[in-house]
Amino acid sequence: MKRILVLDDDLDILELVQMALSMNGYSVKTLSRWENLEDTIHDYRPELVLLDVSLGNADGRDLCLKLKTSPATRDIAVVLFSANIEMQKSVATCMADSFLSKPFDLQRLTKTVREALPL
Amino acid sequence: MKNIRDISIRNKLILMQVFTSMLVLGIVFWTFIATEFRAYKTRKKESITSLAQVIAANSISMLQFQDNDAAAKMLGELESVAPDIAVATILDKKGAVLARKVQGDTSRMQLEVSFPIRSNGELLGKIVLSARLSDLSAMKRSLLSMALILTAVAMLASFLIARIVQATLSNRLERLAQVMTEVNRTGDYSRAMEESGEDEIGTLIRNFNSLLQKVKENERRKDEFIGVASHELKTPLTSIKGYLEMLTMMETAQPKKQMVERAFANTKKLEKLIQELLDVSKLQVGHLQLQLSAFDLGELIEEAVTAFRMVSRTHVVVVEGLPKFRRVVADRQRIEQVLLNLLSNAVKYSPGEEKVVVSCEVEQADVVIEVRDLGPGIPPGEEEVIFDRFYRSKEVAEHISGFGLGLYICRDIIQRHNGRIWVESRVRGSAFRFSLPILNSTT
Repeated sequence: MKRILVLDDDLDILELVQMALSMNGYSVKTLSRWENLEDTIHDYRPELVLLDVSLGNADGRDLCLKLKTSPATRDIAVVLFSANIEMQKSVATCMADSFLSKPFDLQRLTKTVREALPL
Repeated sequence: MKNIRDISIRNKLILMQVFTSMLVLGIVFWTFIATEFRAYKTRKKESITSLAQVIAANSISMLQFQDNDAAAKMLGELESVAPDIAVATILDKKGAVLARKVQGDTSRMQLEVSFPIRSNGELLGKIVLSARLSDLSAMKRSLLSMALILTAVAMLASFLIARIVQATLSNRLERLAQVMTEVNRTGDYSRAMEESGEDEIGTLIRNFNSLLQKVKENERRKDEFIGVASHELKTPLTSIKGYLEMLTMMETAQPKKQMVERAFANTKKLEKLIQELLDVSKLQVGHLQLQLSAFDLGELIEEAVTAFRMVSRTHVVVVEGLPKFRRVVADRQRIEQVLLNLLSNAVKYSPGEEKVVVSCEVEQADVVIEVRDLGPGIPPGEEEVIFDRFYRSKEVAEHISGFGLGLYICRDIIQRHNGRIWVESRVRGSAFRFSLPILNSTT
C-alpha cells in the first residue's frame, strides 16, 4: 500500500482525510504537530506528504522546501493544502508537487493525491 | 487660449523670472532715458541763453542806432559759433525786426529762447533764438539701442539663471508627480521617494512617503485579515463539508440521506459565499492577481460543464458549437470561476426550465463565450446594474439567496483580462456573454 503522511493542526480534518484516503486504498498516517515531521518521515517513510500551510507557528511552505532540498526526502511527493487560495502561487517556489484548496470535495482530494501518487 | 494652470511649473518659473526682469529693466531704462533727455534740454537751454546774453550785450548800440547791417553781420557770424541756431532775430522794443538770420533746416526747431536787451535798465528790444535739438534724436537712438541690447542681455541672463534655479524646485516636483503616477498605475506602495530639503516640497515628499507607508501597512493588515479569515472560516467548513460528503456516500436510508444531501448542498452555498466575500475584499485592495497561462478555452468549457452537470439536478447543460481557434492567455481558474458562476446563475434564475446552453464563437480578435437560459430574463433597465456590487434584481431578490457579488466579481475578472462581459435579452431568457482576446488565431 502506498503510504501517505498528513500534517494538519486541525484534528477533524486529519481524521476526515485519513478516512477518505484509506477508503481509496492508501495507508495513511496523521500528524498534528509539525515538530515531529522529520522523525515521523524517518520512521514511516511516506511516499507522499499532504501538508497544511498554516500550522500555527510554522509555515508549511518552509517545511516543504526543507523536505525538497534535503537528499533524504526530496523524492517524497508533497501536496500543499490551504484555505488561502493565494498559497497556490507558492507551489513553484517551495517546490511542492501540487496544491489543494480548502474546503475541498473528497473527490478532488482523491484525484489530486492520485495524480501525485498513482496507486 | 492656454490656461495658466496648464503651463508646467518649470516654464511658469522661467516666465515669471524673465517677465520680472523685463519689467524692472523697463522701468529703470525709461526713468534713465527721461532723465537724460531733461538734462540735455536744460543744458542746451542754458548754453543758448548764454549766447543770447552775449548777443544782447553786443546789440545795445546797434539798436540805439538802428544799425541793421551791423546787426545782420553779427548774426551772420552765428553760423560758425552755433550751427544749431536755426533762426536768430533781433527785435526793437516796438517789436519791429532789426535783423534776422535764418540758417539751415527750420522745420525741426524745438527750443526757443528769448532774452531782453537793456541798457541802464531801459528796455531796448529783445533777441529771440530758435534752436534745433539735432543731438536729441541721435542721443535717443543711441540710448534706446543701448537699452535694448542691455535688456536682451539681461533677459538672456535671467532666462539662463531661471533655468538653472528652477531645476532645484521643479525637478523634485516633477519627480514626485512621476512617482505618484507610477504608484497609482502599478499599485506598488513600496516606492518611497528620497527625502530632500526642509522647504514645502520637502514636506510634500515626506507626507507622500508617510502616506505610502500607511497605505502599505493597511494593505498588509488587509492581507493578514484575508489570510486569517480564509483560514478561520474555511477550516471548520472543510470538516463540515467533508463529513457531510462522506455521509451522503454512506447513508442509504431515506429520509436521512435526503437530509444529509441538503445539508451538504448548503455547505457548498456557504463556501461560495465565503469565497465571494474574500474575493471582493481582494478586488477592493487590488489584490486579485491573475495567474496567466495559455490554454484551450474549449477544454475548459467541457471541464466546467462536466463538473457542473454533476451538481445540477434540475437542468441539462448543452454545449453548442465550439470554434476551432480558441486558445487564450488567461487565468484558467478565474475563467472557470466566471463560467461556473454564469452557469449557476442561469440555473438559479430559470426555475422550472430544463435547459441551459453554453456556446462559444470567434468574433474578430476575441473569443466570445455565451451562457443562455430560458428563464424570465433580465427586467428592462437592469442590464447594466446587475454587474454592480451587492446589486440584486428586485423581482427575484426575495426567493433567491446570495450577496449580489457574483456578477461583480465576474466583471472584474473579465475586465482584468482586457475582455468584456454583458447581457443580451433573447426571445426567451437572457444570454450572458463575455469576450477574451484570442492568443493567436493561426495556431
